[in-house]
Amino acid sequence: MAKPDEPQDFTAVPEAVIDEEHKGFPVVWLLPLVAVLVGGWLIYKTVSETGPAITISFKTAEGIEAEKTRIKYRDIDIGKVDAVTFTDDLTHIMVSATLEPGTEKFLTDRTRFWVVRPRVGAGGVSGLGTLVSGAYIAMEPSKEGKPVKQFAGLEKPPVVTADVEGTSYRLRSSKLGSVSIGAPVYFRQFDVGEITEYRLSEDHSHVDIGFFVRAPHDRYIHEGTRFWNAGGVDLTLSASGVQLEMESVVSLLSGGVAFETLPEHADTPVAKDGTVFDLYDNHTDILQTPITITHTFVTRFTGSVRGLNVGAPVEYRGIRLGTVKAIELGSDPKRPGITIPIVLVDLEPQRLAGFIDIDTLEDSVAAQKKFEENLVKYMNIAVREKGLRARLQTGNLVTGQLYVDLDFFPDAQPVTLRQDSEYPEIPTLPNPIEGILAGINKVIARLDESRLEDTLDNLNQLMVSANQVASTLGQNAPALAAELQATLEEAHATLASLRAMASTDGEIGNELYSALAEITAAARSIRVMSEYLERHPEALIKGKGNP
Amino acid sequence: MRAIDQSLASCHTCGLLVRLAPGRHAHCPRCGTAVHLRKTNSIRNTWALLLSAIAMYLPANVLPIMSVVSLGSTQSDTIMSGVIYFLKHGDWPLALIIFVASVLVPLLKMLALIYLLLSVQRRSPLRRNQRTRLYRLTELVGRWSMVDVFVVALLVALVQVGNLATIEPAAGAVAFASVVILTMLAAMAFDPRLIWDNHGVHDGKT
Repeated sequence: MAKPDEPQDFTAVPEAVIDEEHKGFPVVWLLPLVAVLVGGWLIYKTVSETGPAITISFKTAEGIEAEKTRIKYRDIDIGKVDAVTFTDDLTHIMVSATLEPGTEKFLTDRTRFWVVRPRVGAGGVSGLGTLVSGAYIAMEPSKEGKPVKQFAGLEKPPVVTADVEGTSYRLRSSKLGSVSIGAPVYFRQFDVGEITEYRLSEDHSHVDIGFFVRAPHDRYIHEGTRFWNAGGVDLTLSASGVQLEMESVVSLLSGGVAFETLPEHADTPVAKDGTVFDLYDNHTDILQTPITITHTFVTRFTGSVRGLNVGAPVEYRGIRLGTVKAIELGSDPKRPGITIPIVLVDLEPQRLAGFIDIDTLEDSVAAQKKFEENLVKYMNIAVREKGLRARLQTGNLVTGQLYVDLDFFPDAQPVTLRQDSEYPEIPTLPNPIEGILAGINKVIARLDESRLEDTLDNLNQLMVSANQVASTLGQNAPALAAELQATLEEAHATLASLRAMASTDGEIGNELYSALAEITAAARSIRVMSEYLERHPEALIKGKGNP
Repeated sequence: MRAIDQSLASCHTCGLLVRLAPGRHAHCPRCGTAVHLRKTNSIRNTWALLLSAIAMYLPANVLPIMSVVSLGSTQSDTIMSGVIYFLKHGDWPLALIIFVASVLVPLLKMLALIYLLLSVQRRSPLRRNQRTRLYRLTELVGRWSMVDVFVVALLVALVQVGNLATIEPAAGAVAFASVVILTMLAAMAFDPRLIWDNHGVHDGKT
């Protein structure tokens, strides 16, 4: 069996039937091709189904669990937290999360994330569902902005989400007042928006407040629209009395701002996104034309200026002309060495918008200067020839607030407008109240001097007559009793009619009251006397005498 | 002496010994079954199947083989993540079994087939016995890799508790099953007689 060279041995073996050759591409090579295609497709599909991986930083990981916490948008799962780690400096936590595929285009630097937990605030309760389901991270997508993969999560849910149409604006205010995040923005006491944020400006010189007005109300915000602080209760105590303003009960708790476009500003263009407005203190303030031009005059008052505040109005017959600028102490030029209050008043020509052409005023410095010259000239004439005087008037009797009243007193001594000091001086008259007080003092003094002694004399006389009455009483008792009976009946009738009179006429009642007081006093004397008589019956005969 | 040298082959079905010319397609004159001296295009077919298996091996390991939906949260597991999961929880014997059966065995099987194919193509005379043993081992062990697929199939069928817990097969399972099947087919397509074909050339003539 070493050599395979004996074919004749196998001639009996039957021949295999030869098949036709089928040439062509070996089908088996399609298999790797299909495998590569299928495998590649599987991997591609899986990879393409894997959404973007992002990281979000938060201050705390409260409620966030790796592999469990969801990322939701409008309550639909769009991702899952993979891991929660610290940042390198341990100040924040980093949440790594994978989002659903197709969310890449919503991940920009304006996309916001925040943790939804149960929250209780002034505006209400939110996130109660998370008590059961656990906290989740909410996303507010934004297509605008640069695509990013790292985000800084918000610590508080945003007040306004991007799906609400509207416009954001900013407010400048000297103080925060009662503005809080989420507080409403009112237009005609309608809630049309929210305060979204507030912060101190870079240099801490003012408060920067961001707010949002929902469409379509944002169309009504013009560049000339004015905003005022509508939060809480605005209690103003001024010469005009006590004013209480309140926008709504909600604003009482959480604050808020309100706006109004005055008719004269209605034609200003509609404000663009991000326009900065000034926040007025209250609704009254927005009605006033902003005062940019003032002319200062000085007034010297001889009396007390208690009750006069900086900011108090300067009025002419009830029409406001200006404002008290400052209250100082200064020397009286008429009486050297005597210190008297000096009140600087600002006259504000813009308040007389109806009477003078304001536009020419604002045109140029030269025009202003000319106007000022004219004003001083006019004031000079007014003081010298028509008797223009300033005096302090009580604006409010209850609070005792004073204001500066300008009026013409043709009878006043003619003086000229003094211009020797820094500001021209308007001469003053004493406060009319001061005159009244002086009169009252005089009355009291007179009372002190004479009337009291008279009264005492009268009282003595009364005592004497009472003595006499009592002595007669003792002598004529039975007759008197009958008489008294009749008198009493008479008195009864009289009293009845008196009562009728008293009830119909208050003055008689008053007089009665004083008369009764007199009678009471008399009765008391009688009692004293009768007690004396009880102890010293001889006095009836001997008289009181000296003990 | 080899049957191929005498152009002799036996029918796989009826066992009839037939004569046929090498390199020709023929069938048994008695039962009509195709007869060949060697498995037709053994090396080509094995290569094709093997490459297919390799192509599927990547998705089988990268993609999740099943996803567990439990209380609304979905967790997908690849083979390796399962191994790591068991390892982390101290079940290292289980981890080892899964690793060996599902990662190592298919890989070694493919490497073994590549080695056999290359050695046959280069007519290597070395270690014919070991190579034959390797082939037998490859063919024997191949089917056991299907364990993973069966586990997934069982779990999917068993764990269907609505929202509470549901297990679904994922793309990786299909890829993995195809890797196992393709390697088994590749091993079957390989003709171990090829290992010995040049034996006589060297041994007999020297």
